[in-house]
Amino acid sequence: MTLPDDFSFSQTSLSDYADCPRRFELKYLLEQRYPAPIVAEQLELEHRIEQGARFHHLIHQHQIGIPPDLLTRHLDDDELLAWFALYLRSGLDDLPQVRYPEIALTVPLGDHALTAKFDLIAVDLGERAVIVDWKTGGRVPRADALAGRMQTVVYRYVLAKGGAHLNGGAPIPPERIEMRYWYAQGGESIRLPYSAAEYARDEAELRRLAAEIAARADFPLTEETRRCAFCIYRALCDRGDRAGSLAEWDGEGESDDLSGFTLDIEQIAEIAF
Amino acid sequence: MRLLKKQQLAAKENLDKRVFLEGAAGTGKTTAAIERIKQLIRSGAPAGSILIIVPQATLAAPYHEALKRARVEGAGSVRAATLGGLAVEMLDLFWPLIAEEVGFARPTQRPHFLSLELAQYYMTRFIQPEIERYDLFNSVRIQPNRLYTQILDNLNKAALVGFPHDQIGARLKSAWAGDVEQAAIYDDAQRAADLFRDLCRQYNLLDFSLQVILFVQFLWRREPPRRYLTRRYRHLIVDNIEEDNPAAHDLIADWLPECDSALLIYDREGGFRRFLGADPDDGYRLKALCEVQLELDNDRVMSEEVAAFRYELGRSLGRRVPAEKPNAADARDAIRFADSRYLPQMLDWTADNVRRLIVDEGVSPKEIVILSALLPDALRFALQTRLSERGITSRTHRPSRALREEPAARALIALAKLAHPHWGMPAEKYDTIFALSAAIHDLDLARARLLVETGYKNNQLIPFAQIADPEIQNRVTFELGGRYERLRAWLARYQAGDPQPLDHFFSALFGDVLAQPGFGFHRSPDAAAATANLIDSAREFRQTVSRIEPDLAVAPEYVKMVDQGVIANLYLRDRDPKLRDAVLITPAYAFLMSNMPVDYQFWLNVGSSSWGQRLYQPLTHPYVLSRGWKPGRIWTDADEYATDQEMVYRIVSGLARRCRKRVYIGFSEIGEQGIEQRGAVLTAVQGMLRRLSREAAGV
Repeated sequence: MTLPDDFSFSQTSLSDYADCPRRFELKYLLEQRYPAPIVAEQLELEHRIEQGARFHHLIHQHQIGIPPDLLTRHLDDDELLAWFALYLRSGLDDLPQVRYPEIALTVPLGDHALTAKFDLIAVDLGERAVIVDWKTGGRVPRADALAGRMQTVVYRYVLAKGGAHLNGGAPIPPERIEMRYWYAQGGESIRLPYSAAEYARDEAELRRLAAEIAARADFPLTEETRRCAFCIYRALCDRGDRAGSLAEWDGEGESDDLSGFTLDIEQIAEIAF
Repeated sequence: MRLLKKQQLAAKENLDKRVFLEGAAGTGKTTAAIERIKQLIRSGAPAGSILIIVPQATLAAPYHEALKRARVEGAGSVRAATLGGLAVEMLDLFWPLIAEEVGFARPTQRPHFLSLELAQYYMTRFIQPEIERYDLFNSVRIQPNRLYTQILDNLNKAALVGFPHDQIGARLKSAWAGDVEQAAIYDDAQRAADLFRDLCRQYNLLDFSLQVILFVQFLWRREPPRRYLTRRYRHLIVDNIEEDNPAAHDLIADWLPECDSALLIYDREGGFRRFLGADPDDGYRLKALCEVQLELDNDRVMSEEVAAFRYELGRSLGRRVPAEKPNAADARDAIRFADSRYLPQMLDWTADNVRRLIVDEGVSPKEIVILSALLPDALRFALQTRLSERGITSRTHRPSRALREEPAARALIALAKLAHPHWGMPAEKYDTIFALSAAIHDLDLARARLLVETGYKNNQLIPFAQIADPEIQNRVTFELGGRYERLRAWLARYQAGDPQPLDHFFSALFGDVLAQPGFGFHRSPDAAAATANLIDSAREFRQTVSRIEPDLAVAPEYVKMVDQGVIANLYLRDRDPKLRDAVLITPAYAFLMSNMPVDYQFWLNVGSSSWGQRLYQPLTHPYVLSRGWKPGRIWTDADEYATDQEMVYRIVSGLARRCRKRVYIGFSEIGEQGIEQRGAVLTAVQGMLRRLSREAAGV
């Protein structure tokens, strides 16, 4: 199946493509729902996802002006309380004052579009912009590993390409952009500055990837079969009958499109009346 | 895109003003709005500062499609929302600010947003016993679910119109001049509404009515939430305001002075959602709040023949139409009319003509829609079978297709009962046969029956090897027996461990067994989609219900509710992208609410009285519970007739306005119930044809 004209790429879809072209096709082109478990320990994963979602929600509420004491007064999850306390202490260190929480930006990518959904963009007009991504997973990767992640590539590129309206109408130069991963479990912060050279490299690579996907007539299965244990389509592809273990999974439990875990607000509203 | 002068006034000019744009369907209002959005972005407005407000999500489809394809940076991320969507988002964010003041028993806990499915569940669980205890509605003979829907509907109308919910019964009674029995039903409706509202307040349950009340009456009046919305969205595009409700109109009226620009769009012949609270008259007051007022009257969809047909049909329905015809075309050229004796003949005629259009004339399937007033399962199935036999792909859109009737969902529920004997809900023998046949590829019902007759005892499946009769093993075959054994062993292993949440059980069973090669769900998109929907439903049920009643055994409660038809009884989304280029089969209302014209329409069963006639709703009344209803006025039979006639006209006129080339009108003298049909649309079409023949003959 070919890519529809109105398709919009995201960091998740590009990561999926990089992992397995067939997964990309099933998930985004055929929109095939396939409700097999991602990992064997479904309850534990659900708990992590829910905790991550609540933490992001808390920060969103805080960023739009709800006082912390109103938010924390009756939180019943000690871990979440600890994360939030840490966030209040160090999560906002050295961040510009103009804040855009939970904001999405879309930019053109070849004949298609590329969308990024940011946890937070903080801007000092005409000076600098910081992208913050809150992480609730326990593992803190090395900075060079994070720099190579599709999320880093897409987020920094999209802000540089399409963030002018957040900067008084002037494009934000790449060298004024920083991507920051903040880890709730220990309060670690990993900062990844950007540059014009990296921007040019990312643009070329993203365009190449989009063109490659658009030109594809078929989408082969990945050759790295170990990934299939953590893919919902493994049965469809005859690649196993057991989900892998959560301990071996390298996902983060806070992905924006784990099928079925997201609350579709518009749909609920529709059904409701 | 070339725009007419008046469209340009809305699309390219007045970008800093509040503009009211009215016109009938097909005159290019939405096209102008889409161009305005692009122009706003080109002029420097961030895409994220533009908000499209529509009465229901389907009406945003033309915006999504056009903006995603637009060569304008960011256009694809312009947001569309409904009043309900905004209410949920805002309550989810700002609940802590109002929790103490809104009178809930647990202000310190997060609220629970109720879907209609869960609202019906709580009706069943807590309100039904009260209904029985006080012998409420003892003269009403309708399904409990329809009873609950109407109780919820009354609460919704009170919230949307803006009167206290404790006035529902009094308002309904004040317009009633008939027997005391109906008045007592209205009293009972009030009692049930009170009980449900109390329950919601006790457990922090937010049904749609409370979502609206808390958003409009509390959050919108507080500075931080209001500022959050009004600063974020500086440009409003409000489409189909005639299909929206007074609460939405109030919100927009309040918002207009605070935004940088707005385009409000009004369809003069709409108002199809009145039974859901739409109030076209109330919406029209927004016109006075706009500096620029524009009208579009050039139809851009209908052919001359279809426009003539619409005009002549209006005459036959007794409408006051302009003395001058819209053009010189012959209305009869726009239609094909088949007069069949029985329903199957009409369906064959429909399928034959669809095939001819696609195969012989090269029409794209997506340019064909088959419409009926209602779309019962039998009609849908009969049509799809006929189309499939002719090699035509079709898709259906019916807002209430039952998930629990999907074969995959039925099989999963039966297997869940097998895996959880401690529930005390053994699977019926037939359900087990059906489940095995659905679960195991190539296992037909006859062999599944053999397995169950010999291998199903005390709600347990015995190992294949223990089936004593080798003849039965041979008939089943050892290959299928092996698959049976794999499924049985998985269920046995599951039983030996701790029970999992039901949605997790379904997911693991699907992934580990049913979706594997050799099993019935393998590479079956329909089975996978039904399983995914069932999992969503079970998860939502568990996550909400277990927080409210931690001690309740949620999984068997869910299965019980599915069996009773309370849960998994709702909308199934049609998501298969392969079906985008398919013939659409849909109820007329749903098509009117999709805002997408097509080349060819088939109107089925035009003799049915369901076209335009109000559904039987003994507990509620869309006109009496509207904002414009004068207190003390009595609703009469003449009112009923007049509103039915008005609705018939609006529907057929609205359909014609969304048709470019031709309408095929199907009629069977004997309807689905075996009764002769003489509904208003049929009478009008036949009257029109006779009159036009007379006029053509100069009689």
